[in-house]
Amino acid sequence: MDGLLFRSAEELFTRHATPEAVRAIRAGGPASALWGEIEASGFLEALVPEEAGGAGIGPPEILPVLLAAGRFALPLPIAETMLARAALVATGETPPEGAIALAEPAGEHMARLAPGQPADWVLLPQGETALLLPWDKAEPDTDASSALADLLRWPAGTGRSLACPDLLAAGAWAEVAIMAGAMERILEDTVRHARDRQQFGRPIAAFQAIQQQISVLTEDVFASRMAAQLASVPDGKGIAGLNPTRIATAKLRVGEAAVRVCAIAHAVHGAMGITEELDLHLLTARLQVGRMRFGGEAHWAHWLGRQFLAGDLTETLAFVRAHLGPVAPEATA
Amino acid sequence: MIGALPLAAIPPEDEALRPEIRDFLRETVPVIPPERRARSWMGFDADFSRKLAERGWLGLTFPKEYGGAGRGPFARYVLAEELLASGAPVSAHWIADRQSGPLIHRFGTEEQRRFYLPRICRAEAFFCIGMSEPNTGSDLASVTTRAVRDRDGWRLNGAKIWTTNAHRSHYMIALVRTSGTPQDRHKGLSQVIVDLKAPGVRISPIRDLAGDAHFSEVVFEDVVLPADALIGEESSGWMQVNAELAFERSGPERVLSSAVLLDTWAQWLREAGAHQAAETLLGRLIAHLAVLRAMSIAVTSRLVEGESPVVEAALVKDLGTEFEQLIPTVIADILASPGQVAPGPLMRTLAYTTAMAPSFSLRGGTREILRGMIARGMGLR
Repeated sequence: MDGLLFRSAEELFTRHATPEAVRAIRAGGPASALWGEIEASGFLEALVPEEAGGAGIGPPEILPVLLAAGRFALPLPIAETMLARAALVATGETPPEGAIALAEPAGEHMARLAPGQPADWVLLPQGETALLLPWDKAEPDTDASSALADLLRWPAGTGRSLACPDLLAAGAWAEVAIMAGAMERILEDTVRHARDRQQFGRPIAAFQAIQQQISVLTEDVFASRMAAQLASVPDGKGIAGLNPTRIATAKLRVGEAAVRVCAIAHAVHGAMGITEELDLHLLTARLQVGRMRFGGEAHWAHWLGRQFLAGDLTETLAFVRAHLGPVAPEATA
Repeated sequence: MIGALPLAAIPPEDEALRPEIRDFLRETVPVIPPERRARSWMGFDADFSRKLAERGWLGLTFPKEYGGAGRGPFARYVLAEELLASGAPVSAHWIADRQSGPLIHRFGTEEQRRFYLPRICRAEAFFCIGMSEPNTGSDLASVTTRAVRDRDGWRLNGAKIWTTNAHRSHYMIALVRTSGTPQDRHKGLSQVIVDLKAPGVRISPIRDLAGDAHFSEVVFEDVVLPADALIGEESSGWMQVNAELAFERSGPERVLSSAVLLDTWAQWLREAGAHQAAETLLGRLIAHLAVLRAMSIAVTSRLVEGESPVVEAALVKDLGTEFEQLIPTVIADILASPGQVAPGPLMRTLAYTTAMAPSFSLRGGTREILRGMIARGMGLR
């Protein structure tokens, strides 16, 4: 599906989101060159309706671009900007220029964000509304920040309040897509390493213990890709038709997978995988961050379990058929 | 590397079958206690199979000229989902409908099709599959049961074991050696249909750890088989066996074996109230179910399009059976709260599913064999 979008995204990131560029931005270097290329691609207007000047395509169609971003551990909020622009346009606002990060509320005028992923703006949910905040007015809370989350604080009175529901589920969808893409690249890199690396006079891929582990890794990567596809079916009332029941399902399934994927990929790569030099940690770190953003496994599992128990359908299969069924892309186009 | 699995949906014309099936099951199945429904596709009830046959639901995928409904695999998928989710006792006809019938249709002669397929559709011919032997398990190519040419037909000697339903089936399709030796591996293997009432066939049921006798040992002593016992080409047995497996490995029976336990527990939560840990666990299991179902449907769709996604089917089976085994494990944990008393039917359902769960990742190819197939698909071996 949508091989064209995927290929053009892959080409763009191959050229401009090299491991060196990714490392530089993560370390606090300028992101404007890479962001300019992404802006020029038009991807960021994907979810904005055509009548509002966007591309008017849906989550299933843009998913391959986000998977590609995940494959490169892109350190910029591409999915979040797409969602923010669509959400702002839907409420009659004109989105500001530049990158918009989706944040999780972390207290009074405090936002929790993905570390090493700069933006120009931050959209911070406040119940049924959201604050649009300028990044450059923020002060980092270094004590509360970590490699898993950056915490930023704004002076009281900063930013503009906008009507903007559904941001938490939308943010979780963005993480699902990026993580599923990162996992695909991890699988490819791990398979290649297992075939190249020689021990005991043969490639470590020749050992059943390694084969079995990589098979489990493969299963989780395929399940995560499927979860991302299921979460992208636009049959809900959220931004671009996103459906929180689907996103809950995918976020928890992908989060579970991320734990095993990181463990197996690192086990196969051995000490080499722990080095700064190898790119593996760019991807596994992104998974660790993504797993903790916009609700983890337990959060969404609890939400989904309550959803089921509050509904009329008493059989799990009936619930899955009614709310979580696969819908082929052509049926929604 | 293996390709991605695009999202695929069950076609509307096949979905349309579901309401009628659900109505039928609502009338016939709830009277069976959950601990019996937990037997899933191991629950044997020939009368129930005949009732399904009367509805025209056996051999859904067989052509009409052989008594079938001429429907596609997704019609059978819908039927299988509903039967398994409800815990209907489908074992009697399950193997014939899923595997033996399609095999006969694909590789059999016109005479064989005309003889067997209508009988399968009428629930008059139940089948079992003779694969494992006392010294042949996962290494299936090492079978030693042998059929030798004898006048117009064959003479069969050897033994099969762990054969599900052998003692209550009419026929066995057995994988046997017709030439060469076990050292020749895949070469020289053929499939033959054995009438289990033939002289020289001795069947001994084996009691399983749950107290049922669902499988048997079958010994063949100079069993005379007619010439037309051979199915397909001589020496093509290995290829034919493998052709059967993709459908078998990716279907709903690799996801729903513990569905009765899951739903019985969920129903009790609804009635007795759920605490946060139970709600969380339930949500987790529902998420797994949804993703697995989408994967299973995606693989089925590839099969319908004539592809042979053997590795993808192995992925579904390994993940699906892991899910089926997870259900009793985590439900046991959550029911083990001090002071909490779960109802007897729920506990008996849990007890049965817990005891039989290890078999979920043995039948139809062990977990280790499947993972070896996936590794091969990924270019590791």
